[in-house]
Amino acid sequence: MSAAAALDPVVREAPERPSGLWSDAWRRLRRNRAAVVAAVILLVLSALAVFSPWIPGLQDPTAQDLALGATAPSAAHWFGTDELGRDTFVRTIYGGRISLLVGLIGTLVSLLIGVSYGAVSGYMGGKIDEAMMRFVDILYSLPYIFLVILLLVFFSRSLVMLFIALGLVQWLTMARIVRGQVLSLKNQPFVEAARALGARNRSIIFRHIVPNTLGPVIVYTTLTVPAVILQEAFLSFLGLGVQPPNASWGTLVSDGAKLLALFPWLVIFPGIALSVTLLCFNFLGDGLRDALDPHDRQDVS
Amino acid sequence: MFTFVVRRVLLFIPTLWVIATLTFFMMRLAPGGPFQSEKDIPKAALEQLQKQYGLDQPLGVQYSRFLGNALRLDFGPSYKFPAREVREIIFDSFPVSLELGAWALLLSILIGVPIGMFAALKQNTAADYGAMGLALAGVSIPNFVLGPVLVLTLSLGVFVFPPALWQGPASRVLPVLTLSTAYIAYIARLTRAGMLDVLHQDYIRTAYAKGLPERVVIFKHALKLGILPVVSYIGPAAARVIMGSIVVESIFAIPGLGRHLVNGAFNRDYTLVMGVVLFYAAFLMVLNLIVDIAYTWLDPRVELA
Amino acid sequence: MESLARCPARYKVLAAALLAACASSCAPPAPPTGQATNQARYFGDTTPPQGQVFTFNNGAEPETTDPGKMSGQPDGRIARMMFEGLTTPDPRTLEPLPGQAYRWDTSADGLTYTFHLRPGLTWSDGAPLTARDFLWSWMRVLQPETAARNSGLFFPIEGAEAYSKGELTDRSKVGLAAPDDSTFVVRLHSPTAYFLFLTQYYTFLPVPQRVIEKYGVRWTRPENVVVNGAFLLDKWRQGDRFEFTRNPRYWDAASVKLERVICFPVEDLNTSTNLYKAGVIDWNPSGNIPAQFIPYMRQFRDFSSGRFQGVYFYSINVTRKPFDNVWVRRALNASVDRDAITRDLMKGSRDPWALFAPSGYPGYVPPDSIHYDPRYARECLAKAGYPGGKGFPKVAILFNTSEDHRRVAEAIQAMWKRELKIDIELSNQEWGSYLQATTQLQYDIARRSWIGDYLDPNTFLSMAITGDGNNRTGWSDPRYDALIRAAAREVDPAKRMATLRDAEALLLSDGPMIPIYHYSTTELVKPYVRGLYPTALDTHPLRHVWIDHDWQRKPVAAGAR
Repeated sequence: MSAAAALDPVVREAPERPSGLWSDAWRRLRRNRAAVVAAVILLVLSALAVFSPWIPGLQDPTAQDLALGATAPSAAHWFGTDELGRDTFVRTIYGGRISLLVGLIGTLVSLLIGVSYGAVSGYMGGKIDEAMMRFVDILYSLPYIFLVILLLVFFSRSLVMLFIALGLVQWLTMARIVRGQVLSLKNQPFVEAARALGARNRSIIFRHIVPNTLGPVIVYTTLTVPAVILQEAFLSFLGLGVQPPNASWGTLVSDGAKLLALFPWLVIFPGIALSVTLLCFNFLGDGLRDALDPHDRQDVS
Repeated sequence: MFTFVVRRVLLFIPTLWVIATLTFFMMRLAPGGPFQSEKDIPKAALEQLQKQYGLDQPLGVQYSRFLGNALRLDFGPSYKFPAREVREIIFDSFPVSLELGAWALLLSILIGVPIGMFAALKQNTAADYGAMGLALAGVSIPNFVLGPVLVLTLSLGVFVFPPALWQGPASRVLPVLTLSTAYIAYIARLTRAGMLDVLHQDYIRTAYAKGLPERVVIFKHALKLGILPVVSYIGPAAARVIMGSIVVESIFAIPGLGRHLVNGAFNRDYTLVMGVVLFYAAFLMVLNLIVDIAYTWLDPRVELA
Repeated sequence: MESLARCPARYKVLAAALLAACASSCAPPAPPTGQATNQARYFGDTTPPQGQVFTFNNGAEPETTDPGKMSGQPDGRIARMMFEGLTTPDPRTLEPLPGQAYRWDTSADGLTYTFHLRPGLTWSDGAPLTARDFLWSWMRVLQPETAARNSGLFFPIEGAEAYSKGELTDRSKVGLAAPDDSTFVVRLHSPTAYFLFLTQYYTFLPVPQRVIEKYGVRWTRPENVVVNGAFLLDKWRQGDRFEFTRNPRYWDAASVKLERVICFPVEDLNTSTNLYKAGVIDWNPSGNIPAQFIPYMRQFRDFSSGRFQGVYFYSINVTRKPFDNVWVRRALNASVDRDAITRDLMKGSRDPWALFAPSGYPGYVPPDSIHYDPRYARECLAKAGYPGGKGFPKVAILFNTSEDHRRVAEAIQAMWKRELKIDIELSNQEWGSYLQATTQLQYDIARRSWIGDYLDPNTFLSMAITGDGNNRTGWSDPRYDALIRAAAREVDPAKRMATLRDAEALLLSDGPMIPIYHYSTTELVKPYVRGLYPTALDTHPLRHVWIDHDWQRKPVAAGAR
């Protein structure tokens, strides 16, 4: 054991040994209680969202009862009903489905575009890199809300368009992060080795470099999901979000907020669901960042 | 330094040109036009209006006329409010947004930085989670919920603050509070991350080892660098917060700049949108320049590219 | 240390969320309790302002304050404060009363009106106001270069339509004349029963020629504007407020008690109602209260509601299949439960309406309304070739962004599914795209509404004429057009109303409209405000308003004021 222990610090310092990096990070993450609790809550909510159509006894979220109207929480309706007599509990659960879907897909879109763009830009370097980053700067100078409105106005108001619009807003920061990582990675020995073996640029970028940028990308992805969900809520406030009969938490909360003085339960319950979910994503993301951040290694140095 | 500033300023022009072109064509491509309304407008009137605004010309001609006027800072009259020039509208509403945004940013720094520092010092303890939880509430509760809640409790409940409008010092409080919560969250998080970065550096350990009291180490050595991420964030944050939140402006009926952008896009008010977008871009670039200069002053290791 | 770290973390996450819950549950949704008995009957603060200052919310920033060019209720309110036309509306009935003209003569054939202006009328800058000012102002509206949106209202005047389209260029051929300073003569090309009503409409208000020629489009600014009405524009900041002071040169200035009038352009309904509750505004005009609040508001004495000349309906695009089939249209119409929508969804804040022209037109007897009959609807659908809803294509209801529109659409979507077994989608567009779709006939079914301009059924029924710009359905029926045209030529009022009735009956049975509810005015007026009454067209001559600081000693029944 003593000989291995003598070798250990040397081995651990090499930054490209994936197993060392991940197990260290996992250990650090586990120590962050808030992040762990957040992850558990998110898993439960996701399960609820995915399996909601099959939960026995759950009513149809679109079933109206005009004569009933809005009623306070009761035994029959745990979260009360809205102006059309629809059960708020069911609507909140289905709303989670839509919100999480929107968050994940919007983030996925921004991930795909951002990672590819940033990786290519960073790897190519030189004039191409400068031009590509200049374009990003220009897009940064445009007020995003204006872009989103125009996008949603040009094309149909479908869910797909919404995903694309939301994703297109977030990819800029992702591109910058990835580019920064790639710039520092591309002169590493393992890249030279791959090049020496005859690998083509595209393969080097996507098979060798990108996997090593995973750390910050994971962190940023976890932090993008709540931002996308919040943005969808904001778009619902403007009337551009998810369209009826689908209703996301954003739609529920923005409609409910307008009736706060009369029917507070319409905003309280979806609002709590939304806020807890967003808080969890944020805590988890911060925890991941702490865990994966090389500067934070208290056992090295 | 001087050449750096000059080069950046020169870069403004092509950037603004690209933005102007992009926005111009995007707006024109949107369905619908600026003169439609629920009540039918007589065909003769429609033709007149289009002629007056030059909309009957081919797109290329419109574009070059627009560029020429923009260089003279003349964006023409707003389509929706023909008695007002776009320039006037922007200069009228900008000071309001500026005041609202400045207060919100100031408040978020005053609250966010201490929370972030506290959390960093107490990393991974209950105090850390609690402080960050409080700060992150700002990005977990949407503005259009917080605003009405504040109005219901602090305004209509106890009649301390007016529920809306921008008259008198008391009317600033609720909108500024609502607007600042998101920025408190970002700034607290950035401060915490920045401080953590710095606190684990060797020279900090050296300072502690030398026996310097904790307060000196933190405030004199760590904070200066730990706050760097916040500084570079302030540029774009200031621009965004001053463009106002359409939510805050609409809930509190504040005559700011943000709603012009959103309403302009909805109304197809071409001239107003162009003016506001270009104004925003120019403002953002100036702020970024100031921030970059401030950055080098704080961290001499960084070189101006 | 570890167990301590575990528990608080979970609690902290929940605590932050609970904070939000506590904050929102602190909101008092129940009726007011524990307030002074006076306050308990009124909504919010009832302290009158200092002096004779009247503050209200105008609802939206006016696009322009030029009476000749404008279109829209907020714009109209401002114009009516600053300018006065030949006639002025009675504050309760809206009947045309003498305004700038103190009397008028009508010829026997109903084609010539001669207005006699009051002696000594002046503009606010002292210049005399003559009949030539009216002539110039009305001709200006007709000139194509002015791009006036409401020039169509002038078309009953001889030669007006041709002149405004540029087909006629000789001004003297238009039926307007000012033989001397105080006489204004109008010649119509066919008798128009509602013409006097039109003269109080904002497009017919006089505007100062010298000022417009000097300042161009900027003539409406506070530093330039010259008025002939009760109030003078003192301050204006866009998006912030309008401030008016008394015009001492107004002919009836002695009866105007208000010193200042302030109005805000607040669009958000909640904000507007909050401002009223806090006592910042004295009047929350109709349309500025969120619909869901109306049942709660009924308990307060300062809430009043009445019939308003507006109808909310769905229009069907008959240029698209299957809507060209009249039986489909009848099926859709007969399966909408209007009572359920207004009673349950809108909590009785609106009246169900199964006619097209609204109620309250003097002398008009409406035809039979559409009945809610799901069985008949199913028969119609079967006759159209879609028995049991089979084979019915996928269509969508278009509406512009608003929770109220969405709720109604969702309710109707459910009704059609339940009764006719057809699947309808909902399409929510923002305002610009919505207008584009409706004007270009790029929709299946669209939510529409129409507000009357004057108290006569023609303001509604003329919409459905072939090719009318406001038709927007593609529906064209020569029988209908003939009936409307015949009514326009008819001199005898009873016969005319009967012809219009036949036209409406035809529209209801064959037409492309699905009327849903009748608009009502729902407004909040502080108890110390006098001279403000609910009216059918929601127009209010504000010069009759005054603040009664003594109101508590003489409480009046709601609506009487």
